[in-house]
Amino acid sequence: MNFTLSDDQKAMMGAIEKLVQKILAGHVCQPRRFEFSEALQARIEQGGFFSAALISDLGAVASASMIMEMCKLPLCVETTASAFIAPYVCPDAPGPFVVAFDGLDRPLRFAPVAKTIIRIQEEAVAWASLRPEDVDEAESLFAYPMGRLRDAGDLHWRCVPGADARKLRCQWRIGVAAEIVGCLSAALGSVLEHVAERRQFGQPIGAFQAVQHRLAQCAALIESSRWMVLRAAGADNDRDALAALGFAQDAVTRVAYDLHQFMGAMGLTLEHPLHRWTYRAKLLRSEAGGAEEQFAQLADCAWADDVTTLSH
Amino acid sequence: MVRFDWLPEQAALRERVRDVLRRELPPDWAQLSRHGPGSKEQTRFSLSFCPKLAREGLLIPHWPVEHGGSGAAPWEHFIIGEELWAAGEPRGAQYMNVNFIGMTIIRYGTAEQKARYLPDMAAGRVIWCQGFSEPDAGSDLAALQTRARVSGDEYVINGAKVWTSYAALAKYCFLLARTGGPGKAGIAIFLVPMDSPGITVRPISALVGEGDLHEVFFDDVRVPGDCRLGQEGEAWPIITYALANERVGIARYAFARRVLDGMVAELKQGGRFQGAVVKARAGRALAACEAARMQVYRIVHERASNLPPSAESSLARVAVVNAEHAVADFGLDFLPETYTGRDFPMHLSHHERAIASGIASGAAEVQLNLIARNYLRLPSGVRQ
Repeated sequence: MNFTLSDDQKAMMGAIEKLVQKILAGHVCQPRRFEFSEALQARIEQGGFFSAALISDLGAVASASMIMEMCKLPLCVETTASAFIAPYVCPDAPGPFVVAFDGLDRPLRFAPVAKTIIRIQEEAVAWASLRPEDVDEAESLFAYPMGRLRDAGDLHWRCVPGADARKLRCQWRIGVAAEIVGCLSAALGSVLEHVAERRQFGQPIGAFQAVQHRLAQCAALIESSRWMVLRAAGADNDRDALAALGFAQDAVTRVAYDLHQFMGAMGLTLEHPLHRWTYRAKLLRSEAGGAEEQFAQLADCAWADDVTTLSH
Repeated sequence: MVRFDWLPEQAALRERVRDVLRRELPPDWAQLSRHGPGSKEQTRFSLSFCPKLAREGLLIPHWPVEHGGSGAAPWEHFIIGEELWAAGEPRGAQYMNVNFIGMTIIRYGTAEQKARYLPDMAAGRVIWCQGFSEPDAGSDLAALQTRARVSGDEYVINGAKVWTSYAALAKYCFLLARTGGPGKAGIAIFLVPMDSPGITVRPISALVGEGDLHEVFFDDVRVPGDCRLGQEGEAWPIITYALANERVGIARYAFARRVLDGMVAELKQGGRFQGAVVKARAGRALAACEAARMQVYRIVHERASNLPPSAESSLARVAVVNAEHAVADFGLDFLPETYTGRDFPMHLSHHERAIASGIASGAAEVQLNLIARNYLRLPSGVRQ
């Protein structure tokens, strides 16, 4: 057991932080539901950071840490598919990526900005290039570019023989859980700033115990999620991935509700970025079937008839 | 480098503890432990079990060599505690000696105190209790009123303690009493023989295990001056050190997880572990246990890396309470029949631990205060 990032992993996180600071310098958040940052997406891709999971000195723990960091930004970038799926499916295809598991007829996250789509079915994995004219942008509640394919049959699908769909699903869960942790951490950070400054009844609202206790419980949920994500990334097994994603998805509503509550009406404006994190998390809540699905599958994994019931 | 697996020697140690448990726990252990860690039955058992652990080098390995330990690393100490807790804590009340009373005496005691108190603890043949809470000082421990007055080379102690676990069978009490003015700075620690004239112990009937709750009255109890641990007024830094050791030392989630495994096995046997509802609920409880495990491991890592104790230990406490509640609720919802009769002692034991988990060793709300102040750095207020 060791909970400290290695020097290589720390160096990578430091490099990403520098990139992010450069992009954020002078950036003013527009009153919009989301802002996709093509520039940051390209920098991360060009820097090779999306391949971290394949590099033994960095590994999936570094990828998950990177996703958490990227999702803390008010700007939106595509991370999980680039870091955890594409390197194993179509390493040379250009990002950003859309990943579709079930029907191709539903709105897909990142479809309007994606250059490649990856489809993961029970056994088969395939990918296809996407052109802007393949996608209809869809208006959405969620803080992502969302779109529908005009005609999935029109795309030139390439099957990936021997692709490990189980492993890809597992990594998808870890990545999405990391996205949730990033979104909720940043959202919590913005609310902490607000409640420390906003004064009512002669003191900062963050000094009231009713507010403190709820924020403390949010912090406990987020921190638990963070370490479950990192453990799942380190372990690369279904059980830890299911537990991490289920726990994080289960925390979303509770945390997002409390954070909006304490941001008050300011958090209902498009001007304040809180919604950018919470409305990403609200979509991520439903990924891979949602918390109940992860928990039910976790039960099947953990208590399969051939698994010993001892806890380690 | 971040890694979540065990070194071969750590895995071997865990196996060794499991072997000892398989060998030394009697067939009726679950029924025996149902009485609770403070009960006469379990106390009697612990006084035969702990000496065996001591002989195996598994009771106090983290103590320094000169006091009978082997200077084992925090992870080794923790792995032993995790396995013993998962099994229902056969050390009974003696976990306190091992986890924090002994270590505190080693750090703050005089040579004479170490010689007097440590050998029995190291051999596994003594019960201590902890005299902290009072009728008017629970969460606000620094408001305690039990008084120790100097009289010649003795102290005379007067006051009352309450909720004291293990008091009826304890040989010594790790007692907090006031020697000076109000607040934290006026408190000292005394290591008081429980057979001192003037001490009255009264058990309190309760929802939790037998022998768990007592009132303890001190009426002109005279103790020699050398029963004081540390200086007058030095209690607060000492118990901060002691409690930092105590709070992480208890792997409550491990017992919850073991009980959850048993509940699922029971449901499976009856063909009732089918359908998404029961599975999702079991999975949620399992995830809560694993969340607590990771938070607690993080704290052990902190100690193993010689980092200063951080506010994260409060986060871990909250996660542990959530885990215990998730498992207790799962049992009540899906196996209510097991809470009637005597066939499922572990369910009952776990239920009792779960209802006390946010209350014992400091209220969960105090942990939330600490998270707000020390981790989230929220401002302190005038009105609450």
